Amino acid sequence: MSRPTSKVTRYAGTAAALLLLLAMPYYLDAFWLQVGAFVMAAIIGAIGLTVLVGSAGQLSLAHAFFLAVGAYGYAFLAGEPGAGSAGTTLSGPGLPTTVAALLAVALAGAAGLAFSPVAGRLHGLYLGVASLGLVFLGQHVLFNARPVTGGFNGRPIPELSVLGFELTGDEPDLVLLGVPFGARERLWYMALLCAVAAYVVAGRIVRGRPGRALRLMRQNPIAAASMGVPLRRYRAGAFVFSAMYAGVAGILIALTARRVVPDHFGLVLSVEYLAMVVIGGLGSVRGAAVGAAFITGTPLVLSHYGDAIGVFARPGEDGIDAATAVRLLYGAAIVAFVIGSAQKGRPHAITITMDRARRALPGVSRRRLQRQGR
Amino acid sequence: MRLSLREVSLNFGGVRALDGVSFDVEPGSVHAVIGPNGAGKSSCFNAVCGIYAVGGSIRLGDRELTGLPPHVVAGLGVARAFQNIALGGADTVLDNLMVARHHLTGAGFVSAGLGLRRVRREEHRHRLRVTEIAEFSGLADVLDTPVAELSYGDRKRVEFARALAMEPRVLLLDEPVAGMTYHEKAATVALIRETREVLGVSVVLVEHDMPLVMGLADRITVLDFGRVIADGPPAHVREHPDVLRAYLGAHP
Repeated sequence: MSRPTSKVTRYAGTAAALLLLLAMPYYLDAFWLQVGAFVMAAIIGAIGLTVLVGSAGQLSLAHAFFLAVGAYGYAFLAGEPGAGSAGTTLSGPGLPTTVAALLAVALAGAAGLAFSPVAGRLHGLYLGVASLGLVFLGQHVLFNARPVTGGFNGRPIPELSVLGFELTGDEPDLVLLGVPFGARERLWYMALLCAVAAYVVAGRIVRGRPGRALRLMRQNPIAAASMGVPLRRYRAGAFVFSAMYAGVAGILIALTARRVVPDHFGLVLSVEYLAMVVIGGLGSVRGAAVGAAFITGTPLVLSHYGDAIGVFARPGEDGIDAATAVRLLYGAAIVAFVIGSAQKGRPHAITITMDRARRALPGVSRRRLQRQGR
Repeated sequence: MRLSLREVSLNFGGVRALDGVSFDVEPGSVHAVIGPNGAGKSSCFNAVCGIYAVGGSIRLGDRELTGLPPHVVAGLGVARAFQNIALGGADTVLDNLMVARHHLTGAGFVSAGLGLRRVRREEHRHRLRVTEIAEFSGLADVLDTPVAELSYGDRKRVEFARALAMEPRVLLLDEPVAGMTYHEKAATVALIRETREVLGVSVVLVEHDMPLVMGLADRITVLDFGRVIADGPPAHVREHPDVLRAYLGAHP
């Protein structure tokens, strides 16, 4: 736990950060605004996962699946019937976009609930492997249910609008303080609003009664049940919560990318989200946000500026090109980050492994370990 | 409220962990369950808490507890302090005690996430009460300390206080002084006595420390190989030939 800083300092810091984020669209170009929107979407998804994996101790590799449910749910529900690419015919009920967005989040939650009988019976690596199945199942559906998903080439994303005002598009024209407010600017604000709301809500849950129950359930399920925590309901609750956060994140990713393709929602994405929450320290909402910013932002930024740096091989030449360099750098940074956070003994970092180790060891060495752990 | 066990039995594969165990815990009494290792003491606790499904009948007042899941049993007023400390290590003492209020509070994912006024009030009210209980248990100074930073004796005490914070009718203490220093033991014994007097809670105690048990308990049930071999006031149990045999291997 962080030392109790004075409330005034903390509020001032938060307010300054928020003001800075609110002012960003006046200074940043379209590329940075897009990176920002992707990062904020990832922050929401990562927060959902850190509550599930870090607080509740339910290892999930299915996050990409729930992200896809949100993204494709929105694309389909808001989509109009019509011709897609590569000769596919798209269907879609063409619902008002806000309704479609809400339904897509609910759909993701329902998918989480549907998976909860499995989640209630398994935990640890077993649950991780079982949840893996969802990713493969999901991708199979995404590639093959062409009228709904558009198949390999995916599906375009309708702009989200409220009462004719596009929250993510250019209609109608809007100029604020001499700056035209186009799609990128609006998207930035919408993503920011969602991310802040997601952050605040998750923080309250984690600090409050559900969070305490989840954490004890992770560390000692029998003790939690003996304190009156209904385990099955809380395991399901954690899954639904995390799936709904993933749903919101999925919609934002879709709106930012303007098109959803099945390739994006593979196992790699699930693992990236796990990396985000491990880097940030499992169970820490703030940590998840930092991890998400790092994992999502770094590759985008490095590959954008990689060419400008000029030390890398051009496509076709021998040597390390920018994209490879980015991957190497990024991989090394993840390892460094995890080692750093584990050694500093942050209270939440790699909590699960530590808990397991402590429980597995007999009394004396367990106590020694606990002392070293702090 | 009276806790009564009637013909409770429990099998693990071919091993009979509990074999027709019957005894009553009178309201407001301190009742010790003793016996050699593997006699079935902890199984008895697990049976009462609903962790194991058992045969026979376990009643709290008029309520049948057998067949109920653990969280429902907890809600009916059965609290338990674990022998091997089962606290959330990274969480503070206060948070650990607040978990015990789970069955007395109602904030869920939605209402907690939205920070409703009802939730904030509930949190505040229960925090006050938990602080009182911490003071009663001698933990007032460490409320904001993560449990993992406490000494073994203090963690044992948090375990006890957490059970108290459930506002139980029956308090199950599984070896509450095991591994404690002399002074810590004395403090815990005083605490158990005070708990019974101030809160009128029935206390069921599993403990190996015989002098402590003899001095503290109103009534003692002795288990051996899952059976009750003696039941009565300390003076009666102390002289019982079966008890001597079970403990000392003495021939009568």
